[in-house]
Amino acid sequence: MVVVLSVIAMVSAAVLSLVYGKASVIIEENAARALESSVLEVLPGTSTVNIIRRSPDELGVDDPKEMREKEQRTTLIYQGVDDQGQIVGYAFVGEGNGYGGAVRVLVGVDENTDQILNVKILNHAETPGLGSRIEEEGFRSQFAGKTVQDPIAINQDIDIISGATISSRAVADAVRSGLQDAVAVYRGGE
Amino acid sequence: MARLWKNFANGLWNENPTFRIMIGLCPVLAVTTSAKNGVGMGLATTFVLICSSALISLLRKVIPDKVRIPAYIVVIATFVTIVDLFMNAYLPDLHQVLGLFIPLIVVNCIVLGRAEAFASKNSLISSILDGLGMGLGFTWALTVLGAVRELLGSGSLFGYRLAADGATTIGIMSLPPGAFITLGILMAFMNMIAARQKKRATKEVRP
Amino acid sequence: MNLFLLFLSALLVNNFVLVRFLGICPFMGVSKDVDSAFGMGVATTFVMVVAAAVTWLIETFILQPFGLPFLQTMAFILVIAALVQLVEMFLHKTSPALYKAMGIFLPLITTNCAILGLAIMAVQNSYNFIESVVFALAAGLGFTLALVLMAGIREELRFADVPEPLLGAPIAFICAGLLSLAFSGFAGLI
Repeated sequence: MVVVLSVIAMVSAAVLSLVYGKASVIIEENAARALESSVLEVLPGTSTVNIIRRSPDELGVDDPKEMREKEQRTTLIYQGVDDQGQIVGYAFVGEGNGYGGAVRVLVGVDENTDQILNVKILNHAETPGLGSRIEEEGFRSQFAGKTVQDPIAINQDIDIISGATISSRAVADAVRSGLQDAVAVYRGGE
Repeated sequence: MARLWKNFANGLWNENPTFRIMIGLCPVLAVTTSAKNGVGMGLATTFVLICSSALISLLRKVIPDKVRIPAYIVVIATFVTIVDLFMNAYLPDLHQVLGLFIPLIVVNCIVLGRAEAFASKNSLISSILDGLGMGLGFTWALTVLGAVRELLGSGSLFGYRLAADGATTIGIMSLPPGAFITLGILMAFMNMIAARQKKRATKEVRP
Repeated sequence: MNLFLLFLSALLVNNFVLVRFLGICPFMGVSKDVDSAFGMGVATTFVMVVAAAVTWLIETFILQPFGLPFLQTMAFILVIAALVQLVEMFLHKTSPALYKAMGIFLPLITTNCAILGLAIMAVQNSYNFIESVVFALAAGLGFTLALVLMAGIREELRFADVPEPLLGAPIAFICAGLLSLAFSGFAGLI
């Protein structure tokens, strides 16, 4: 009795880990490609995307798990360059705690003024019809023109979406903290 | 041959899981904001139905009765995880939209219900056909509901904009209340059709 | 995250049945009279809270450290099935009357998508242990609330003159739609 169940369980675990091994590679590739095309959206005019890391030499590790952990700690900046070779601006990924989990945003910042150009919502699991309204143009356009000097906080300079306080706050937090990190990295060291 | 056809066609109309037996309703309401999502969810569920019904039918003499429910759950969960990973890799947009409801296929009463009621007692071919029929019946129900909600709620069908540019849409259709009401009205409609079929059948019997 | 906000949100604004569409099968199946609806709600809430706790522990101490995300669905549903089995045995011993009254619907709690749904949501949102339990409690109470309200309406419906095609499920769904419409009024609460 228990034997049959255990055999079924073991076979299924084996099959799943095989499928997962194959699929996870493709899933990560998809994510990288999607991110790059999003950068083209938030930095209009871009034709090439350069990836800038905070400390590239730190990434000289062999173990993939360790590398992934190190990558998560470094700040990733995407630099957009147009076809004349001029830098359009830089973009970064910010993360905030939404109602349905992490809300990830991609923020495009102007090269010359350090003002936010565009905010794109990358992933969210907010409630459809309510929290998902953070994707709307009306909400996102509030962030345009803001700099590190601005508070970028709900009920201060950002209006929330009615019925979606948590979701709205998540986006504001993501943009604000991400912008601080990004400007520090992009303008600070490197 | 006729019996095999009946196995398949049963799930499409007579014992349509959504409109007649009324099981597996959660995804029906949740993912039918558009026709495409309905089709996607339906086909994913159909895949799980066919595979798990097939495997459970193959193993029906081997699985002891006492552990049959956990065994079915493991089999179904395996196929659900495979579908989840497959969609994440090859259909990422659809995977994002369907979200939570893909792993929830494992508790879709249709899958476990057919495993228990049919696949555990019938041959491989019959079980596969039953799974296919039930799955497609579920899929067309989802598609119709999705199409109605998409048409009225967003003025489009399968993504193609049908309504004129300035036309007002009934936004509530895309939201939860609209889902409930649309399903209720569709079910009433199906009841009317079924009643008319029955009346015609009894009229033919009477001399 | 603010626990009170989380609780209120899962209970009313993002009610599991009327907004998130989880737990529809028992919602339709067991809402014919208020007493059984209430009993079902309480039993489900109990399973939800314990399931949330156990699945959180499994995810945190087994699935994540060993890199087994693909076993999540299977592990969670097996935990829930085992829990329901335990509740069944417990009720059978302590309150045979209640056990008999609930009948087939007791084992069917396993297939209540609200339970698996909330377990997955809690880990996807990276809730900590306390947050997961609070979330589960609010979800269960919201489920109970929706069920009891629906049962109350359906008890009254028995005396209404409903046209024949609408008898039974259709009119119930339309009423559920109106109930959902009412609940959407909570959107401005948070």
